[in-house]
Amino acid sequence: MPKRQCQEALDKLFEYIDGELTDEELLRIGAHLRDCPPCEAEHRINERIRLLVSQAHGDKAPHQLRERVLSTIQMAREESR
Amino acid sequence: MTTNTDGFTFETEALSYMDQLYAAALRMTRNPADAEDLVQETFAKAFAAEDKFTPGTNLKAWLYRIQTNAFINTYRKKQREPKRTDADAVEDWQLAAAATHQSSGLASAEQVALDGIGDDDVRNALSELSDDFRMAVYLSDVEGFAYKEIAEIMDTPVGTVMSRLHRGRRMLREKLRDYAAERGIYDHKAGS
Ligand SMILES: [Zn+2]
Repeated sequence: MPKRQCQEALDKLFEYIDGELTDEELLRIGAHLRDCPPCEAEHRINERIRLLVSQAHGDKAPHQLRERVLSTIQMAREESR
Repeated sequence: MTTNTDGFTFETEALSYMDQLYAAALRMTRNPADAEDLVQETFAKAFAAEDKFTPGTNLKAWLYRIQTNAFINTYRKKQREPKRTDADAVEDWQLAAAATHQSSGLASAEQVALDGIGDDDVRNALSELSDDFRMAVYLSDVEGFAYKEIAEIMDTPVGTVMSRLHRGRRMLREKLRDYAAERGIYDHKAGS
């Protein structure tokens, strides 16, 4: 069974990765991760997956959508005049 | 974030988020034609409600909120989501039970497996999650919104956002492991 510090680090791992911890928690958990290889392995895996997700989603809006939106805005502007 | 200088107009800034809104709409609707309609609807609603936007606050989050509402009201009804309550019913003890170490052999096997995971795998895995989990993970991982902003966008408490993120990411990770195992690049018996 993991130690109590491990449990805290693992419970707060996503908050750590997402930058949602208080400074105090951030320092405590960061220090634990440096000292504890199994927790650090979990950290790396989750951070890697977060990066994979962010990189896989760079779709650009098709230009016909851009045109549709622009003409909608123009019509709305003219109506409100 | 928003600079309210001379060059700023609501229109220019709003339009600058179109690619991001479209990418998010693709993830929400899982289909390009619906995604275009959703973004179109989002901008139509945003410009109709322009006077309700407070300059200097987060325009991007405001647009995402409009789009998320439009998605829930229009497209989710159309799609029929099967069995989403099952996933919502995961108990806290199951969450706690999942937060343990794995053997170092398993951890390094998983790290190796992730090297063989491509963009298509990640998109497929994400698209298999139910709406609430998929959107929470997307808004956090891709858009980098803070938990509080996601809570506003999804109109739900921060605690719910956190549990959706926890569960969504865990399911995503399991799916990626499964893909890797199917392809023989993940050995789930490593180190045992
Ligand atoms: Zn530990």
